[in-house]
Amino acid sequence: MKLLPEALMYAVFIAVIGLLSVWPPYEVVEDDRAIISLVFSHAGDRITECRILSQEELNKLPPNMRKPSDCPRERYPVRVELRSGEKTLYQDILLPSGIWADGKASIYKRIEVPAGRHELFVGMNDSGGSDDFDSTNSASVDMRPGRNLVIQFDDEAEQFLIR
Amino acid sequence: MIERIHRTGRALFGALRRPMARAFESAENPLNHIGAMTVFFLWIVLISGIWLLIFFRTSVSGAFESVEYLTREQWYLGGIMRSLHRYASDAAIVTIFLHIVKEFVFDRYRNNRWFTWATGVPLVWMIFVLGITGYWLVWDELALYVAISSAELIDSIPIFTDSMAGNFLSDDLLSNRFFTLMAFLHLIGLPIFLVFGIWLHVFRLTGPRINPPRRMMAATLLALLVLSAVYPAISHEQADLAMTPRVLRFDWFYLHVYPLIQLWSPGWVWALLVGVSSIIVIAPWAPPQKKERAAVVTLDYCNGCERCVDDCPFGAVEMVARTDGTNYSHQASVDPDLCVSCGLCVGACPTATPFRTRGALVPGIDLPDSSAANLRASIITAGQNKSSPHVIVFGCRDDRQLKDLDAAGISYVKVNCMGQLPPSFVDFALNRGHADGVLLLGCQDGNCSYRFGAGWTELRMTRQRDPMIRNRVDASRIAFGWQAPWSDNESAAKKYEVFKRALER
Repeated sequence: MKLLPEALMYAVFIAVIGLLSVWPPYEVVEDDRAIISLVFSHAGDRITECRILSQEELNKLPPNMRKPSDCPRERYPVRVELRSGEKTLYQDILLPSGIWADGKASIYKRIEVPAGRHELFVGMNDSGGSDDFDSTNSASVDMRPGRNLVIQFDDEAEQFLIR
Repeated sequence: MIERIHRTGRALFGALRRPMARAFESAENPLNHIGAMTVFFLWIVLISGIWLLIFFRTSVSGAFESVEYLTREQWYLGGIMRSLHRYASDAAIVTIFLHIVKEFVFDRYRNNRWFTWATGVPLVWMIFVLGITGYWLVWDELALYVAISSAELIDSIPIFTDSMAGNFLSDDLLSNRFFTLMAFLHLIGLPIFLVFGIWLHVFRLTGPRINPPRRMMAATLLALLVLSAVYPAISHEQADLAMTPRVLRFDWFYLHVYPLIQLWSPGWVWALLVGVSSIIVIAPWAPPQKKERAAVVTLDYCNGCERCVDDCPFGAVEMVARTDGTNYSHQASVDPDLCVSCGLCVGACPTATPFRTRGALVPGIDLPDSSAANLRASIITAGQNKSSPHVIVFGCRDDRQLKDLDAAGISYVKVNCMGQLPPSFVDFALNRGHADGVLLLGCQDGNCSYRFGAGWTELRMTRQRDPMIRNRVDASRIAFGWQAPWSDNESAAKKYEVFKRALER
């Protein structure tokens, strides 16, 4: 048996294990940066409005298919924009999910910003066509280093939450 | 091309293995038991994990607090167990990596070995997922980073509408039930699949070695205990969803891919992971290994003794009901898809005897391309050299030592694996006047291309395993020269000269 060389090899082994399990440290974000997380799922308006079927039309349908309204499924894309002061941090057009483009449009975006005070504006258009926003919110926030500010859209209240 | 890659890999691997070969006796060298060492590390992970489970609380606040309790208040046991759990998991990644590299560079993944090779890939995935979910459960800053980054990876698969990563951005979205789910995955779900996966991984191997030698286990456990005591694993600050972790003490064994999620994108990371995994899975066919024809059974000489079944390292031989109407109940049957033509079955066959005087030498089981008859003819040819003392050297075709012999101009009889040499052939060489001594050269136990060649040959020649060499053979006229492929110990030519001098005395 060669106790000393064996012990030396085991020492090297645990040194490598111990070292690489914590070192080198990984810097996720720099010291003077913060994160804005823009995250929500929202269904745009339907491209074609629902139409109430007449009794005559209903009678022509098999009994098990007599829905009172005819709603074409396709929805508008959702346009979203996030600004800090005059600077656009993010803008995109989110497509509806689903084969028939009838599902929610989703966004999950982490945006690094310099730490400090930001005049934030977020807007969304979910009804197609116009350049206007259907929902907006703005806030003056102190982005201290490392802060993770979350911007969500509350579907029930139909408004953006900045927190 | 692939041969060049193997050769380069062997050279690089040799750089690691040479110092290990100097430090350890062969039987105690961890590099000869890498697969078994991985299983041993997983045992440590399991046992330490059971202790951690007893105290772990599956809730958002309870998870961190319970781990802190184990680490700080119960540092003498819970803290040690946590560190063991962590470091054994990391060590398993090292041995898994070395295991894959070793099998690749020594070309032990092609032909019938594809199944064992390919089933290792999902095992690696499972072990990584286990490790990652383990980090998740601590619920500190690192856990938050791992949770968000993992969720981003999952979100990039276009099957979910709502973002999973969004669940880790505010306290009201994060549920205690989520920790219950993660704990279930980490503690029960994945380990069950892992055990099944390990069983599948070694399914085609006869007598897989899943436990390293006891002394090695004790030494390794002691080393990990020392590391755990000197440098215990600790948590980061508790996860705060309002803050982004900035600088993390990173476990690079498990998390090395995570920085790429930010650097590239989740989609490219998936492409990397799936791409590398796919390349590994198809490697056995890129290109397929050339191989000799499979062993064949000649029923006229097969008495159904089952020794070939016992000795086949890959389960390629099985006993089936007799088909030739003789009084034997069973006969050997070879599955050509599983046979690697190593010849261990021929070495085990009692009918493979060169002393037969009537008819041709046809054993019950034989290799068509490297037959027992050819082996006998080679011995007779080698015996015509009348130097004194005359040593016949037998060498395995995969043994690097043959190059030493070539360089020294020493002739030898080549066998597919030393286990192909039936003990009666050594008896034949020594007692029929073909040689004064026999030197058997091959790869060290634990490095044999066919797993058991060196070990079983030595047992057969020292009368510890069937078929045993006959009592009349003088043991001092047989010498063994097992050597690891990377070893620069004594050269084969020197072994030859030393043995000759010993015979002269």
